Amino acid sequence: METNRRDLLKLAGGAAVGIVFTPVPWRLITDAALWSENWPGTPQPAHGPLTARYTNCSLCPAGCAVRARCISNRPIGMAGVAGHPLSQGALCALGLAGHQAPYHPDRLKPASASAAPVAQAIAKGGVAVLDLRPGRTASWTYRRAMAAVKGLYVTAPQPLPFAYNLSAARTVLSIGAPLIDGWGTPGNVLRARAGFHLIQADSVESRSASLADTWLRINPGSEPALALGLAQILLQRKPKAVPAGMAEAAAQMTPARTADATALSEKEILDLADALFQNGPSVVVAGEAAPEAAALNALLGGWGQAVVARQEAPVPESWKTAAPATELASVPDGSIHTLLIDESAPGDYIPWGVIAKKLARGSSSVIVFSWSGTGYARHANLALPTAVFPEALDDLPAPADSPAAAFRLSAPLVEPPAGVVNPVEVIAKAAGIDASAALRERADAIHKTARGNLFRYADGVSTPVKDLKPEDFWNALNEGGCWIDTAQAGAPPLPKWVPSASAAGGADLAVTIVERRFAGAPGSPLMSKVYKESNLQLGPNRAALNPATAAGLGLADGARAALTTAAGSCEIEVILDPAVSPGALEVAAGPEVLDICGAFARAKVVRA
Amino acid sequence: MTFRGTLLFAGGVLASLGLGWIAFPHAIYTSRQQPVEFSHKIHTGSAGMQCEDCHALREDGSYVGIPPLEQCAGCHTEPTGQTAAEKNFIEKYVTPNREPPWLVNARQPENVWFSHTPHVRLAKLTCARCHGDQGTLDKPRVYQEDRISGYSRDIWGKPVANVKGPTQTGMKMDDCIECHRAAGLEHSCLDCHK
Repeated sequence: METNRRDLLKLAGGAAVGIVFTPVPWRLITDAALWSENWPGTPQPAHGPLTARYTNCSLCPAGCAVRARCISNRPIGMAGVAGHPLSQGALCALGLAGHQAPYHPDRLKPASASAAPVAQAIAKGGVAVLDLRPGRTASWTYRRAMAAVKGLYVTAPQPLPFAYNLSAARTVLSIGAPLIDGWGTPGNVLRARAGFHLIQADSVESRSASLADTWLRINPGSEPALALGLAQILLQRKPKAVPAGMAEAAAQMTPARTADATALSEKEILDLADALFQNGPSVVVAGEAAPEAAALNALLGGWGQAVVARQEAPVPESWKTAAPATELASVPDGSIHTLLIDESAPGDYIPWGVIAKKLARGSSSVIVFSWSGTGYARHANLALPTAVFPEALDDLPAPADSPAAAFRLSAPLVEPPAGVVNPVEVIAKAAGIDASAALRERADAIHKTARGNLFRYADGVSTPVKDLKPEDFWNALNEGGCWIDTAQAGAPPLPKWVPSASAAGGADLAVTIVERRFAGAPGSPLMSKVYKESNLQLGPNRAALNPATAAGLGLADGARAALTTAAGSCEIEVILDPAVSPGALEVAAGPEVLDICGAFARAKVVRA
Repeated sequence: MTFRGTLLFAGGVLASLGLGWIAFPHAIYTSRQQPVEFSHKIHTGSAGMQCEDCHALREDGSYVGIPPLEQCAGCHTEPTGQTAAEKNFIEKYVTPNREPPWLVNARQPENVWFSHTPHVRLAKLTCARCHGDQGTLDKPRVYQEDRISGYSRDIWGKPVANVKGPTQTGMKMDDCIECHRAAGLEHSCLDCHK
């Protein structure tokens, strides 16, 4: 009997049917899935003892305490430190993933770029250092270096020098400040949040507005008017000293006028004043109207109690001859020949247009120290890669919600890659000063005061500094300890009051920068299509306006327009969205937008 | 279909069933011998040792796992018997101070977080509860590894066709779930897959 092809097919068909009723296909599917988990190139954690190491996160100025779970000394997971007096055991989403920062796709690759141009630039003169996170020991080194070479130490616009004790408050009024999302130390704010009634006065439904007990939707740009209106009511009830000129300005802001300016009703304004007056202690925190908020705190009786002077950890006496800090806004336009920007410890992004104005025309150069290629490195003549958390050694000043001075080290958990530079070392060396032991010198200066307590993360014990030897104090700081001063901070002087006005004009739109959740191209073509065509998420260079606002500006849906701020201009596509507040503009974060819009920006939108 | 065709089809079905249920459960694993013919029976019997003498929890709560050669060398600097296994151990590992490349039946995948401390100290589980009768064996079990996934037979996959390993251990995910569920401790995937 001959075997033909049909016979083989029948046999194979039977085998195919039979195999389904055996463990073979099902086991092969699961095994193949497991095999794919271990393909070459898949990162595998090292084997070794599991240990805990402690440090402080330096990704933002809050500086939360971190407990890193390590295998073979390499961090594989981050968590907060329970019982920490500042961060209260919490860590934000960024901090929880902090150990992944060295692998960020936007990281500047260590290259063969030399730091020699820094020394040459300093030797030429006309140099300035822009420090985005002042108050650190590195900041003092820059100040000392600039004093040595007669350069300028420049800082970003700083918030007023107050510290807030939110746990002492029963009512908190936030006038446009991002109180719940990034204002202070996340854990500390959220812990105190349980004890106070939060009223958020905001022109947009920000995250803080969403999480507030009461959201008062006010007109964009009317924050100072609301503060002055409240001051007028409070001054009538209990007269107190306020900064010169403010009482006269407040007298003009009757409840009716305030209601006109803010779009709140007179009753809402009077009820708000009642809530602050009767449910004290009350604290007012403001983003834009900070001097007015300071006066409100003085009127509400929280001055010197819930709001105190912001304290800085002691520094060695010899440092105090360093160059003074100059705010960027005070630097004359076109006066800087070489600008060194330390972006390794970033703060709020200053629109590039604001910085560029200060550079000398034609002959200026910009040298940026940064771990990321997406910030000021885009505008630099030379971008030098730096270490990033948790590779870098740095210290962290006390955050805005700490009434006491603090000193913490962000001790490195991993070695930085070869080829990165330390901006402090480079600038100090170029200026001819020795700052190699600056952190230790500052720790010794703090120890010398014999004030305050050291909180150790490993055992959660606080020890008075006077009971510690200098060496033990320094070692404990390097193992993730935190020094907190016990000296009582006093009432700060009331800041000078000047009428608030936006840089680009009071009638301009209030800009809210929206984080683009789909930062990169989504993997699926379907998602790309939905993302690009639906406008569910604002795409790059797209801005959303309320239809009424757009109609007033003569703009239709999909129109091309120019977005202009005091710092520059860029082209945008207009999207109409009734959910956006009238008079406000929501624009997706992106390099061009950040280059012209900072916090509390005002902008004009004109049809292109 | 003709009778012949039906017969061929049935033959194909039977061949697959035989292959899948009889040959495959044996073929999926590869077997390897341990580098040292270690006798738990002698150590826990005539030598009078306890499991935790070698497989201890450190002071910080972490588990020492398989003891390092240094610990074995404490007693085995010189041969303590005349067996070939003893001679092999001394010559190949103790004298040149080389760690034996043990094949660990209990090694869990990278995505599993397991700590001995709560299981031993809080739940009071005995070693045998998960590791089976290792402590009484005269020879180490043959190490069996899934040819595709690369995992030990003890920690992955249900017994195929009821063909069990030399001992039925309790270190597979199903075993963990079953025990946690019985103790009312089943919370979430993140308990173990952190």
